[in-house]
Amino acid sequence: MLKAGPAKKVSIYVGEDHQYHGHSLYAAILDFLFYRGISGANVVRGVAGFGADHHMHTMRIERLTENLPMKIEFVESPEKVEELLPKLYEMAGTGMIEIQDTTVVKPSEVSKKRAPQPTTPPLRREGKAKLMRIFIGENDKWNDKPLHRALVESMRANDIAGVTVYQGILGYGANRRIHKEGTLHLSHDRPIMLSVVDNEEKLRAFSPILDAMVQQGLVVLSDVDIIKYTHNYQEEERRKEAQP
Amino acid sequence: MKLSGSAKMLRIHFGEDAKWKDKPLYRAIVEKCRELDIAGATVFRGIEGYGASTLIHRSHLLSFSSDAPIMVSVIDSEGKVEKLIPYLDEMVDQGLIAMSEVEVIKYVHQGGTHVL
Repeated sequence: MLKAGPAKKVSIYVGEDHQYHGHSLYAAILDFLFYRGISGANVVRGVAGFGADHHMHTMRIERLTENLPMKIEFVESPEKVEELLPKLYEMAGTGMIEIQDTTVVKPSEVSKKRAPQPTTPPLRREGKAKLMRIFIGENDKWNDKPLHRALVESMRANDIAGVTVYQGILGYGANRRIHKEGTLHLSHDRPIMLSVVDNEEKLRAFSPILDAMVQQGLVVLSDVDIIKYTHNYQEEERRKEAQP
Repeated sequence: MKLSGSAKMLRIHFGEDAKWKDKPLYRAIVEKCRELDIAGATVFRGIEGYGASTLIHRSHLLSFSSDAPIMVSVIDSEGKVEKLIPYLDEMVDQGLIAMSEVEVIKYVHQGGTHVL
């Protein structure tokens, strides 16, 4: 966090239309600053200006799209600026970077309301688990409802840790029939994959139910390491309160 | 076709714009898999991603052109998957191919009408 005292103010001048790896340049720089832990940054759009190429960029009505000047500005400690400068230099391309000595009189503060509050320890599991992938078709049914939906409901009812349904765009499986999306997405026979993560015992226990439900398809199991599995109970409480 | 026990899963990542002989690469890969009698292949379209080129792949809203990330997942026995790899090597010139171990729990179909 930025402290009162001497600091550096960095201004980067680029054009609004400038791109960085297929992404708007000023947004890419802002993202970079954000994820590198800069305490704050601003982007200001100029109404007119010109740069090294002596091309006048203005906001004239007859030209709706114009490469307006953008200025990205942030204040940080000299060490932090030193650390980020090489990457900024690379990103700025033809743009200009300026650094001024400045003094922070009063650093901004994290507002009280949004300050992180001590939370109750969330549910957390780490270590070995299994990932089960179930490949079926979008048209597959179970008791007149889409099989993928039935599977998700059934897993939820069986306390499986989590499941995600993915929709493919093309594929084929055991029956050699090609599943694909039709023109304008009107046909619904796309391949579906469910990815389920839980420990081995839970998944093995669920197997007989799965067996009964999946009439055709492929089910495979592989090893995974759980890095994080958390749930914010406080958030849930708040959501419950919000509901009538 | 029988598939059981331990098997391999290939995941091939590339962009939707990738072509092989004027047809979408993902379609060409699925056709090659069928030709080689591979047990199955599924193509997924991602929402956003980046890869070796660090170019962001993203499907463009309100536009028909799109370079969304594509992932093709192929599962079969090690021997069959290995037969596919030289072809993939030739077809995929920008992308990522990863292989992992899987255990087949179930591989079934209802015989009859749809069998080609």
